[in-house]
Amino acid sequence: MNALVQPPIQRPRNRLKRLVQPLVVPQVFDFWASKVNRIWSWDRPLARITARKGESADAVTLWLQPNRHWEGFQPGQHLNVSAQIDGVRVTRSYSLTHASTTDGRLAITVKGVEGGKLSRYLCERARIGDVLEIGQAFGEMTLPPSPQGNWLFLAAGSGITPLLSMTRALAAQGMPVPLTLVYWAKTRDELCFVDELKKLASDHANFSVHFALTRETAVGDEATGRLSEALVQTLVDDLSSRQVFACGPGGFVDTARALLSSTAKSFHAEAFSPPPRAVEDSGNVQVVLAASGRTLTLPRGKSLLTALEAEGFKPASGCRMGICNTCACGKSSGVTRHLHTGELFHEPASALKLCISSASTDLVLDL
Amino acid sequence: MNQNPRNRLLSATELDGFAAELDAVRARTIATLGQRDADYIRGIVKAVRYTEIGGRVLLFASLPMAFAGLFWATWIAGVLMLALSKILENMELGHNVIHGQYDWMNDPHLNGKTYEWDIAGTSASWRKTHNFQHHTYTNVRGMDDDIGYGLLRIFPEQRWRPFFLLQPFIAVVFALLFEWGVAIQDLKLGRWWAGKTSNAQMRKAFKPVGKKMLRQVLKDYVVFPLLAGPFFLAVLAGNVVANLLRNLWTFTIIFCGHFTADAETFPKESIRNESRGHWYQRQLRGSSNLAGGRLLNVMSGNLSHQIEHHFYPDIPANRYAEMAPEVKAICARYGQHYNTGSLPRQFGQVIWRILRHAWPSRPPRVSAAFQAQAG
Repeated sequence: MNALVQPPIQRPRNRLKRLVQPLVVPQVFDFWASKVNRIWSWDRPLARITARKGESADAVTLWLQPNRHWEGFQPGQHLNVSAQIDGVRVTRSYSLTHASTTDGRLAITVKGVEGGKLSRYLCERARIGDVLEIGQAFGEMTLPPSPQGNWLFLAAGSGITPLLSMTRALAAQGMPVPLTLVYWAKTRDELCFVDELKKLASDHANFSVHFALTRETAVGDEATGRLSEALVQTLVDDLSSRQVFACGPGGFVDTARALLSSTAKSFHAEAFSPPPRAVEDSGNVQVVLAASGRTLTLPRGKSLLTALEAEGFKPASGCRMGICNTCACGKSSGVTRHLHTGELFHEPASALKLCISSASTDLVLDL
Repeated sequence: MNQNPRNRLLSATELDGFAAELDAVRARTIATLGQRDADYIRGIVKAVRYTEIGGRVLLFASLPMAFAGLFWATWIAGVLMLALSKILENMELGHNVIHGQYDWMNDPHLNGKTYEWDIAGTSASWRKTHNFQHHTYTNVRGMDDDIGYGLLRIFPEQRWRPFFLLQPFIAVVFALLFEWGVAIQDLKLGRWWAGKTSNAQMRKAFKPVGKKMLRQVLKDYVVFPLLAGPFFLAVLAGNVVANLLRNLWTFTIIFCGHFTADAETFPKESIRNESRGHWYQRQLRGSSNLAGGRLLNVMSGNLSHQIEHHFYPDIPANRYAEMAPEVKAICARYGQHYNTGSLPRQFGQVIWRILRHAWPSRPPRVSAAFQAQAG
């Protein structure tokens, strides 16, 4: 997972902190606290990179030591990670790849995406000792407290990361349930954790792993080709009794759902999609207003402010010409176009001026 | 309307060209925003934090230093350092961050919509009266409350009342208490006094304002003096004087921005169907710069480049000095007066306006030129 997903909601603080809160200015507290220890903060979860390990040609695992504001996670969950790159704080979501550790450290495995700002930064420039800002863990695809039955994990590309975390968690419990993992990648080079997965398979009779390549010829016990009914039939037995978790790009998850949601015992999936390349300027988009829990269909090519108002939603606004910042609101995903310059903005933003921006793709706004 | 004869009349096409050239300066600057600007504003944050703690420590230390005969030297140094900290925080940090100039950094601590500054007024009311009303309707009579702040008669177009005879005195008090004036600006007490706002509405509007005022009073006049224990009075007095100095300085800078001799005001009709070029022109005619050096730029929150600030209120202020020569050249090419002068010269003109328009005065003969352009 490395697209940005909606940030989690902050939980309330403890009572003593609530009492002192009115006396503390968080940014002043953080300024001085960070002089003592760079991951100390009044209320922001921060983490220090304590180790890094290459996993494949273009992926690296970072071990992070979080501060006390980190509230823990379940295997299979994700978190938002932010770093400052060229003066801009860039945020993306990553899956936690290890089961809980005794020292409270977390691990994320990052695949350097072509043109990916944060993934490239984390793979190439982030050093041990650097501090990253993190968000609380989120994600619904987690293991039940005591797993039962017969399991099947389908992973494609970076979709391996949450499933690996769950596989490790099950292995740590002595693999209490039968589990099959099928893991797709374009080429052999891009496969991560191969040795570890093979070792887990030889250690646990209950666990088997299959690797499948879509753009390279299979060698040995590898399979070739995309996800298909025939391929699944040959690799996995007893499909109808399986509880399935699938994670990968949107297209992969859609195929998996079509193939298995009616035949398997249960089906859960999480999809991530790379940012869309082609951007249109006519037609409509879906705009999710996260804070008010509404979804509106708005036209492209028109300022978001007027489009929202036409739907009866009245955000705060002022000058309507891009100078007063009154209508600015956060955008957690989607592409917008600046109406004066025609420029496209793919990045999540903390302040998007609705009056001079139009939607180019589906959006999620903090309204 | 006091149409300045130094401004050439521009045709609609020329106004479009004027806007396009100014927009191009904007685009060029935005394209290069990055690490340098992030480092700059974080450097300012650092300066604010260190001068604040330095100033407060010196004030705490002033009484013990009395034994070495250094009470006044330490106390004055403490006052100046604390005033410096507050000036930097209000002007170069707070004012600019609240404009959203550094929103592109996505730093939650430097977010224009949430930043709360170290001054009696709330950021929320400032966003409304300043970011929206003042910056959109700059010097438009009846729409920009900053014209005399409803208290002073700065322009002959404002209706004269005998009350204004007192304004030389009122202006001094207003300058000393400037932060409190800004704090209550959006409450529009005059309307409440006249019975146009109900008591219930006023109570509701006052709640956040009163809360912020109380917070500032408790911080500077109760908590820090109490922390000083036996040196309570020295610290209290130091904090009072530091806040007054900050008030005087911000008053001076802000009044120089729009109330110099050549600054113009505009009737409401002038903004009807206003083109972008015309908007730029109105910002230019209503604003004036202060010629100084880097020190004046930082200490004024770069309001020494008031013209550039009004053209580009959402561009990081640390860029205005670089943009100024280009802006000035464009104005010259289009025959538009670029109002700038030294601080004493510009402030002298402001004082003259306050004194002159305390007495009845009449605008110079109306020129149809600006209206013709507005239509």
